[in-house]
Amino acid sequence: MGIDFIDVAQAIIDGLLFGSTYALIGLGFTLIFGAMHKLNMAYAASAIAGAYVGLAAIALSGLPPVLAFFLGPVASGVIGLAVYITCFRYMPASNMLAPLMASIGALFFIDEIIIHATAGSPLAFPAVMDDVYFELGEYGFRGDLIFVLVTSLVAMLVLLYVLFGTRLGLATRAVSQQVVAAELCGIASHRTNATTFVLTGVLGGLAGCMAAAAVGVISPLLTVPITVKGLIVTVIGGLGSIPGAIIAGFAVGGFENLFLLVFGVNQRDIYVFLLLFVFLVFRPNGLLGKAIKRD
Amino acid sequence: MAFYFGLLQTIGIHTLLGLSAYVLLLTGQLSLAQVGFFAIGAYVSGILTVIFEYHIVPGLFAGALAGGAFAFLVGFPALRVKGLMLVVATIAFSEIVRLFFFNLNWRVMVNGVEVGPDSTQGFREIRFYAANGWDTFDVVLFIWLFVIVVMAMLWWLDRVRAGATLRAVGADELAAQSSGVNIVAVKVTAMTVGGVIAGLAGGLYAHSATYVDHLTFSVLLATFAVAYPILGGLSSVFGTLIAVIFVQGILIEGMRFLGDWRNILFGLLIIVAMNFRPSGLLDGNVLSRIRRMIGHGKPDGGGRHA
Repeated sequence: MGIDFIDVAQAIIDGLLFGSTYALIGLGFTLIFGAMHKLNMAYAASAIAGAYVGLAAIALSGLPPVLAFFLGPVASGVIGLAVYITCFRYMPASNMLAPLMASIGALFFIDEIIIHATAGSPLAFPAVMDDVYFELGEYGFRGDLIFVLVTSLVAMLVLLYVLFGTRLGLATRAVSQQVVAAELCGIASHRTNATTFVLTGVLGGLAGCMAAAAVGVISPLLTVPITVKGLIVTVIGGLGSIPGAIIAGFAVGGFENLFLLVFGVNQRDIYVFLLLFVFLVFRPNGLLGKAIKRD
Repeated sequence: MAFYFGLLQTIGIHTLLGLSAYVLLLTGQLSLAQVGFFAIGAYVSGILTVIFEYHIVPGLFAGALAGGAFAFLVGFPALRVKGLMLVVATIAFSEIVRLFFFNLNWRVMVNGVEVGPDSTQGFREIRFYAANGWDTFDVVLFIWLFVIVVMAMLWWLDRVRAGATLRAVGADELAAQSSGVNIVAVKVTAMTVGGVIAGLAGGLYAHSATYVDHLTFSVLLATFAVAYPILGGLSSVFGTLIAVIFVQGILIEGMRFLGDWRNILFGLLIIVAMNFRPSGLLDGNVLSRIRRMIGHGKPDGGGRHA
């Protein structure tokens, strides 16, 4: 089978555009990990659940479909807060395994609620601007993917502003650097962590809506692949690194679509995982991660 | 009765899978690669008994060795990283293994029948037990023989120096290293032992299910493998067994009457259990209370690390 250069370039363009959702999910994992040094396995599930809530809200109330992209993230933020309270807030700080396991429990719980509510069948998700198609020379740009990209970029800019331009962001960064010192400065670490979960929840909800809109359907089957891809993005970008997660999100999206073109759908993910192993062997701290230190 | 025998087989196999993660958790490493070794064991032993017509015992040992060999190979790059990175690396390994078997097609004619792994269709013809006239009760005994041997070995491990070394690495790597423990060697050894146990469990699973396909070896099963020792507690090998009985016997089989709601309750119960017993159902306190009750609470304790 001959693969022309134009096919490769087009696949990479589509992948990069879709990769913005991976970047958002990776950012969420990285922020929570940075704040608490713990892994929230329920993160992608709450993102997808938020998208479902948004979808249900517009279906029940008859509001315009675009509002799903607003209601979904709000719902995800609420779910994020619930996950924080049930799985992280009351766990001993030194115990890494208990909150991890509890959040896996939350992942099952959220997934099963969705399956129960939808009888397990995928639902159509409204796409925005899917009838628009830009052409630039020989390359085409799908309108819905451009919408995904632009929305994700706006979300990232807002997030960066919150983190680096507000007192809330200052508190979040302080807690992630040194919890005890931050508390001595009068920062309520539990409340800050709860805010981080809400913030990342909103981000995840947006990513969930974007992924569902780009694929066209939403299904609980999306949660595990998105969790795994989000984690890969987090590791390739470097743990706790915000620009790293963004770059890695786009890179994983691009490579994934390239592997899809070259190796076919059955083998695509093998090569994505091998890419991860290449990073683990040659650059275990990721693209932009700091060297792992003992804390 | 056949239902209870089937349940006993599942509990035995899942106990082995949980124990394979338990060994590595003792060193403080959370690995989701156990399901990868489990899949390797299942396919290797299945291929040996079906295509090469081996007896099941050498088939199982080959599966266990293959699991251990891959664990050893994966151990070196994967254990350079820890915590979250190890979780992600091991998920990736398990998924690579799963996708490899998803794409594996090796059909051959044996005694006039076409057998072997058939990529997306799975590997269907693992009928050693039926072909050799073993009934379900024999299979239960066979599986539990392995479970008891593995549990006894791990129980004994906790009473010798090697077990103390494993727990020392888990408790504080730097302190262990300062005391002259080679932490890389300890972790890779634990990974290899875990791989052998998982490979063995995989072989037993393939033969009692008679059918394996890539869907079985999902990230979900990998999380179950680590969930058992974490839910049960790392203080004793019995914690894993109790957690498997709790999950497979009570949560999954005992609540079938709840229908759809059972799965929802399942996640909720894990959250509740972790909030109230963050160190597992059978943690150090409960364990020492049990010891006192059965009259083993001697002050010297015989070098136990409960």
